[in-house]
Amino acid sequence: MLDANIRSILMQVRDEAADQGIHATLLLHHEKSHLMRIGNSSVSLNTSEDLLRLDMVVTDGRRQGSQTFLGAIADADVVRSVLAAAKEKARVASPKTYDPIPDEVDVPVSEDSQFDTDLAELDPEVKESAYREIFGKLGEEYNYSGSWSSGATEVYLLTTANRNEAYHRGTDQLFSLVLKHPASKWELTHQQTGWRAADFAAEKTTDEIGRLLPTFENSGGCKVDPGEYTVILGAGAISEIVGMAAWTGLNGRGWEEKQSWTARMKPGDMILGENISLVDDPGNPHTFMFGFDMCGRKRGIFPLIGDGELLNLMYDSGTAARYGRKPTGHDTGSPSLVMDTGFGPSDPLDAARDMGRVLYIPALHYMNLPSRSKGIFTGSSRFNAVLVEDGRIVSPIFSTRITDSFQNVLGNVSVISSIPESVNGSNTYGRRTPVAMSVPSYMIASGIKITDSADSF
Amino acid sequence: MTDAAEVKNDISQNISRISSGGAGYVDARYYMEDSSETLVLYDGDLEANDTTVQSGVGVRVLWDGAWGFAATSDPSGLRSCFDKAAQNARTASELVKAPLFMGKRDPVRGSYSTPVEVDPFTVSLQDKLTFMTRLDNELKDEFILKRIVYANFMKKSIHFQNSEGSEIQKDLSHVFGMMMAMALDCDGEMQRRSMNLYSTGDGTAGWEMMTNPELFSGHAGRIKSELVELIKAPQLEHGRRSVILLPGQGHLQVHETIGHPLELDRILGYELSYAGGSFVDLDSFGKLQYGSEKLSVSSYGGIENSPGSFGFDDDGTLELDYLLIDRGLLVNALTSRAMVNEANEKAGREVFRQSGGAARATSFYKAPIDRMTNVNILPGTDGTLEDIIASTEDGIVVDNPVSWSIGSNREHFHFGCEIAWEIKDGKRTRILRNPTYQGHTLEFYRSLSAVGDRSTWKVEQVNNCGKGEPNQVMQIGHGVPVVKFDDVITGERK
Repeated sequence: MLDANIRSILMQVRDEAADQGIHATLLLHHEKSHLMRIGNSSVSLNTSEDLLRLDMVVTDGRRQGSQTFLGAIADADVVRSVLAAAKEKARVASPKTYDPIPDEVDVPVSEDSQFDTDLAELDPEVKESAYREIFGKLGEEYNYSGSWSSGATEVYLLTTANRNEAYHRGTDQLFSLVLKHPASKWELTHQQTGWRAADFAAEKTTDEIGRLLPTFENSGGCKVDPGEYTVILGAGAISEIVGMAAWTGLNGRGWEEKQSWTARMKPGDMILGENISLVDDPGNPHTFMFGFDMCGRKRGIFPLIGDGELLNLMYDSGTAARYGRKPTGHDTGSPSLVMDTGFGPSDPLDAARDMGRVLYIPALHYMNLPSRSKGIFTGSSRFNAVLVEDGRIVSPIFSTRITDSFQNVLGNVSVISSIPESVNGSNTYGRRTPVAMSVPSYMIASGIKITDSADSF
Repeated sequence: MTDAAEVKNDISQNISRISSGGAGYVDARYYMEDSSETLVLYDGDLEANDTTVQSGVGVRVLWDGAWGFAATSDPSGLRSCFDKAAQNARTASELVKAPLFMGKRDPVRGSYSTPVEVDPFTVSLQDKLTFMTRLDNELKDEFILKRIVYANFMKKSIHFQNSEGSEIQKDLSHVFGMMMAMALDCDGEMQRRSMNLYSTGDGTAGWEMMTNPELFSGHAGRIKSELVELIKAPQLEHGRRSVILLPGQGHLQVHETIGHPLELDRILGYELSYAGGSFVDLDSFGKLQYGSEKLSVSSYGGIENSPGSFGFDDDGTLELDYLLIDRGLLVNALTSRAMVNEANEKAGREVFRQSGGAARATSFYKAPIDRMTNVNILPGTDGTLEDIIASTEDGIVVDNPVSWSIGSNREHFHFGCEIAWEIKDGKRTRILRNPTYQGHTLEFYRSLSAVGDRSTWKVEQVNNCGKGEPNQVMQIGHGVPVVKFDDVITGERK
């Protein structure tokens, strides 16, 4: 739980600021992170981080300033100095042309339903022995790399608007393993995600990689010529495409400023295939649930696309203030996107049995957007990608590039899996921010544009 | 942190304690100051007015061939931080197939300071905003829908110590600037032109870069006038043609398809689970014809005012100047001490003579990994941009990236750019919209047919290179002249 002394200090400084008529937001972020990295079948890095960050935002009419402090909060003076710095920045700031919407913790929140003590205190030796077990089962002749990130995050939010507190505590993990053939250079991967230590099981990885190993061992792989293909997109690829489509098409700022691929559409318009539905649902257990936004708004289920129809756009506080809208509490920065499942069989190969020659691309690497306005994305296959004929895997494929539009791909989906899968999208560039999407375990789309392919593994 | 001398003394004692306990190597980086300021004017509104301050110590311990790392921002927790790093290393050492080793090195004592005329942290916020607002006003026009003026300042004071007795002090300062204007084109699609602060390679790296008209502040009118033409321009049609990269685009081409594939940790497979691998392997050095004979690429720490210049890396190695590619032939990589030792051991011969000084960490709480420094294409002998255009029958000149997507082993790529100028029979004919080009790395560099002279060479700054787990964002420089490639796939098939 949140350190009682730090909580007391933050509340004290919040009250002092309120008494002085300062409009301030205090956001505390505490992470205890551990990461074990694997390279060349060895532990290449075993690292621990215990970091406390305090973000202070001061609003002075139309002027705002912020200061982030990373360090120990030993006494109230530390917090007062951060407040003073933010206040000074706000004083000197040039005024905005609109009135910022004040942050306010709507209702008191205290949530830790996805906190697991076992994961928070996971001994690194557990990770080491799991990797050792996997190497042994899959074969010591391969080269292994991977990483296993786990940790606990606390977020504590106060504003001078009222005395409410919002507190979140959660745990998360992301395990990955890459098996590489030392001579042939092909690579297979498997990932596991979850918020409990018990969500991980070594056999999930050995089973999945073991299933694909014979195909890769017994085939030289093939190059895919440019053209249009029917493609089975795995959960990783779906999360990349849907996540980027939401980021660029469903955020209010992009839409208001005519930068998004939805700019010429409006709520009520059909924008994708009628079998595509998407919500932002911070209560879905396949995501990392987060019940309030960083401005203090309580979050609930927020429909975005229903049966292909654009239902709502997400407005963060700044965009809402600028364009005279109401903040939705949902934004593309910390989504819990959930794409509806369909009625397809659990095994994608069964679904592709009568489809002849199709590509199976489980994930897309390094996606980017040559045209945001047209919703054109590009990215390439990497791990575990194969050619399928009549529901049977026949060969791995070399790294293959898709360059297509969201509307074409998500407008031509014929089969959607009935099984939801959690895809971990967290990054640790700055602070620990667990993010996961719930998507169907696969979908099949036709007429997908393949624009290039590597010549070998 | 409290008294810096006291902390340094504690670090020395803890390094001795952990070393004498059996560690093969120990180092610590004490960030006495790590400050960053970001200012963003968005349509004239100050949307970001943020400062971050942090300080702390990162400790690395090598134990029986395995790294353990821990960090603390609490001076009272220094001893337990060293203990944690040592414990992490001991745990890691239980699963080691290829033990890492740093080798023996004489103590290094030195210091490095980024040359700065005006420390940006001494310029008042008011003065900064006045300057940025002036630029924003210059970008204003009826046809322009969005304007962005961005500034980012960084300052780090880092004390390095290791168990070999090395002690290094670094005081680094970086300035990044960007301005952008956006407008809707004739098809209702948003187009943009932007300008990033660059350097000529000589001079200082303070606030004065920002206010230098050549390097940054004098370009608002140019990008506006190019944008007004761009929004009326036709689309680039699909086809094979020559592509001439201005440094605004060429630096990212170098970054993604020379820099990253030549990071030795990546070549050795340490990035496979995240950023990816490399088509280069240890047998490639001295044998692989990476590009045409016109291609020579260096890693050069001596560029005075680049974020890729830092004096000493986080292994305590002096940043070097050396060739990565010599007249097309691959000869070296971006390397750190442990990776060089591992590569030579693995190859059974001396592939790399010494570390290139590329071990870098982005903050006190991240462990060093192999990074780019200043990775540069050396100027050539094919004259100016106009000379290169004059020698081009059918091609495009492109500038500034819109999108970039690279294969996981850096073997193929796809880039989208802001603008293209069509070249027909040696002359610029018109501007084209939505230019893209794609290719395979080796085939592409082997088609390099012209390299501009020193007058075309600019040092472009990158302030957001992501790599590693936990992820680290690093600052890098790329000195790049105008370069021409032939027979490149451009545009998208219909």
